[in-house]
Amino acid sequence: MATLIEAEAASGGADITQRPLNRRNVRETIVRYRWLLLLMLPGITYFVLFRFWPMYGAQIAWRDYIPFLGIEGSEWVGWKHFEDFFTNPDFPRLLGNTLILAALSLFIAFPLTIVMALLLNELRLNILKRTVQTLVYVPHFLSWTVVVSLTGLLFAIGNGPLWTGVNDLLGTDINFLTDPAWFRPLIVLQDVWKNTGWGTIIFLAALASVDQEQYEAAIIDGAGRWQRVWHITLPSIRSTIIVLLILQTGQILNTGFEQIYLMSNPLNRTVADVFDTYVYFVGIQQGSYSYATAVGLAKAIVGVILIFGTNWIAKRFNQQGIF
Amino acid sequence: MTPRKRLRAPLAILTVTGLALTAACTSGGDDPDGGDGGDSAGGDALSSLSIMAPYFAAVPPEEDDLIDQALSELTGVDLTVQWVPNTDYGERTNVVLAGDDIPDVMVMGKTPAFVQTAEAGGFWELTDYLNSGDYPNLVSENPEVQEATSVNGHVYGVYRARDVIRHCIILRADWLENLGLEQPETVEELYEVARAFTEDDPDGNGADDTYGFINPAWPGSIGSGSPYDAIELWHGAGNVWLEDGGELVPSFTTDEWMEAVEYERDLVQNGYTNPDYATMDPATWNEPFLNGEGGIIVDVQSRAPQLVELFREQDPENAENYVALVGQPEGPHGTFAMPTAGYSNFLAIPRSSVETEEQLEQVLQVLNDMNSTEAQILLNNGIEGDNFTVEDGYAVYNEDRQDFTDQVSGAWAQLGTNVAGYDAYSTQPATPYDEELAQLRLDLQAEDLENAVFNPAASLASETYQSSGTQLDTLISDARLQFVAGQIDEAGLQDVIDRWHSQGGDQVIAELNELYSELG
Repeated sequence: MATLIEAEAASGGADITQRPLNRRNVRETIVRYRWLLLLMLPGITYFVLFRFWPMYGAQIAWRDYIPFLGIEGSEWVGWKHFEDFFTNPDFPRLLGNTLILAALSLFIAFPLTIVMALLLNELRLNILKRTVQTLVYVPHFLSWTVVVSLTGLLFAIGNGPLWTGVNDLLGTDINFLTDPAWFRPLIVLQDVWKNTGWGTIIFLAALASVDQEQYEAAIIDGAGRWQRVWHITLPSIRSTIIVLLILQTGQILNTGFEQIYLMSNPLNRTVADVFDTYVYFVGIQQGSYSYATAVGLAKAIVGVILIFGTNWIAKRFNQQGIF
Repeated sequence: MTPRKRLRAPLAILTVTGLALTAACTSGGDDPDGGDGGDSAGGDALSSLSIMAPYFAAVPPEEDDLIDQALSELTGVDLTVQWVPNTDYGERTNVVLAGDDIPDVMVMGKTPAFVQTAEAGGFWELTDYLNSGDYPNLVSENPEVQEATSVNGHVYGVYRARDVIRHCIILRADWLENLGLEQPETVEELYEVARAFTEDDPDGNGADDTYGFINPAWPGSIGSGSPYDAIELWHGAGNVWLEDGGELVPSFTTDEWMEAVEYERDLVQNGYTNPDYATMDPATWNEPFLNGEGGIIVDVQSRAPQLVELFREQDPENAENYVALVGQPEGPHGTFAMPTAGYSNFLAIPRSSVETEEQLEQVLQVLNDMNSTEAQILLNNGIEGDNFTVEDGYAVYNEDRQDFTDQVSGAWAQLGTNVAGYDAYSTQPATPYDEELAQLRLDLQAEDLENAVFNPAASLASETYQSSGTQLDTLISDARLQFVAGQIDEAGLQDVIDRWHSQGGDQVIAELNELYSELG
């Protein structure tokens, strides 16, 4: 692949007038890299079929889509659905809820994965390290349905062990499952419990590649454990952290439909409604496909802007971006 | 040369597959335009009929099971049923309608998506066909119910008939007796029973471990037959809509409704209801009743024999002493009984799969045949001589074939519409007590039917309601529960109702009233 890019750069990059990218050059390039190109074919087919072809259907955001009439048969309505969404009285609430949950996951769950990776990395006893690592992965493989059911059992009003424990401790009578004030803490707790272990994988891989000699040198210079972490370990995985952070911001509005949908009920809905549940509710349950598509598109566009924004900021601070 | 040659074959396959996939996708995308009946291939008589239907059991019937075979023979076409778990059914219909592979017959509810599709011509209008007299088994024995299934005067489906009265109050009979209480006949008495069940130690164990009402988290919003809806109707708030001086008014804007939600709030705030009323899984509704935690269930009558059966497993000797069944109570403003819609969804025929009038008539003929007495028995009882036999006009089930029987009543019965009356066998009551209970249910149905309050807007489809009705309804049902839980006060509840008005509710009222005056 590297050679292909170099070849392109050489033929059409610096000076276009001197070496025009004419038809012959293109043909030559194709012939030259035909096997590589053929190898790409399944990948390209996949993207065309499952990523680009569905975009054709996104046009229903500008139509009043009725399934029976088909996409082409449905009437164009312009920006109506977008306007409806942005002027909807629910919009500020949905945006607020989505952003708060995203921020919590970005500022609590994400740093915790790094902390966990660093802690695991400091474990000297290899067998212990492996065991702990495996154990913290396990929750990741449980579905949200199971996690939410477990939460339901633990916090069940009247007899849930955690319900009893926490309320005894605080001397209160809180119903964690329906109290809006407890919705976000529970969501973050579940997220941390389920995903932190799994999230450490990539950081542990990055940590494994840190040059051990640096540590040895630092020990000789008298650096303590904390200093080694601060001056060697963290800088070494900085680019990994930034790349993951950028990717994470792109996902910021994807708050995880399943978890929130399963955790919401009429009493906490004011804080639980997010874009994802709203799209499901309006699009699938109510059958307003066009409106839901418009909401989904708006969300996707914000995601793209966020990715470019963070990437730009990362570059401004002389860090590697992802593109 | 050789390595190249070796490469060629798999690559060729890859290329061809890629092309084929693209082609398949393209033709699929163009398909929704079809279905106008002009296709030459589309006009042939149907040799098979595909039906989409929900099932309630853990597993659906097997393809081509005994009932399928018998029905296919009876109707003369090969039936294939796409069974979908009931919990996913609503969503699945929306997805299926948006796709290309639409079955010939679908069990549909009057959802916004259905109304929208039907009004755009996606389903056959059956009004004239059903009135033609060609399909005697599809002639409704209850024209009001048929009207309620219609959309602004157009019938788009053969409805699945249900008892008009199903709501009742189920109480722990032994608790009533322990406390020396009478069965409640008014909502005040019901409140008193709930209080006594909570505070007066009805099980006599000396511990404060019981409550009155058992309310699960209700899956639907307002007007979906929840215990809350029933209590509001008993108070005279009407059934979703209320006619007041020729005008349709939403029930939750009435003073009676406010009175009823205060009644509900007091029940919850005083602890006369299970504490997890907002999150309890409705599938576990029976458990607190059986365990002796709670003593009042407001639900359909058929839950009573179900409970008796469960008690029988626990305590065969005294099973008959646990369950009391009471009709719907008198409210402070008169006696009002909660009816069902009289139907539960209907069988609708999509135009994209059944393209010509000849085919439609053929499908209707099949549905007519599926409502014959013989077919009803197949759908509801099973196969005579195999899983049941008939004694004194009752079905007696073969215990060795219980799995099959469960499958029948869990799935195939969903295809029985019984519009012209239910002709299959009832299950033989196991004991004289069961027979008594069955008779009591019939008596209560007759009694409550006289006071039934129907939704006057049942057949009207307002445009605004189609597009945002689910949101509007949820606004109210959420606020109701928040009020009951003490999260918001009366002013807060009124705020939500005001929001309902401004977010489209006023339009819904205007549109419905216009339709109401047009259709008379």
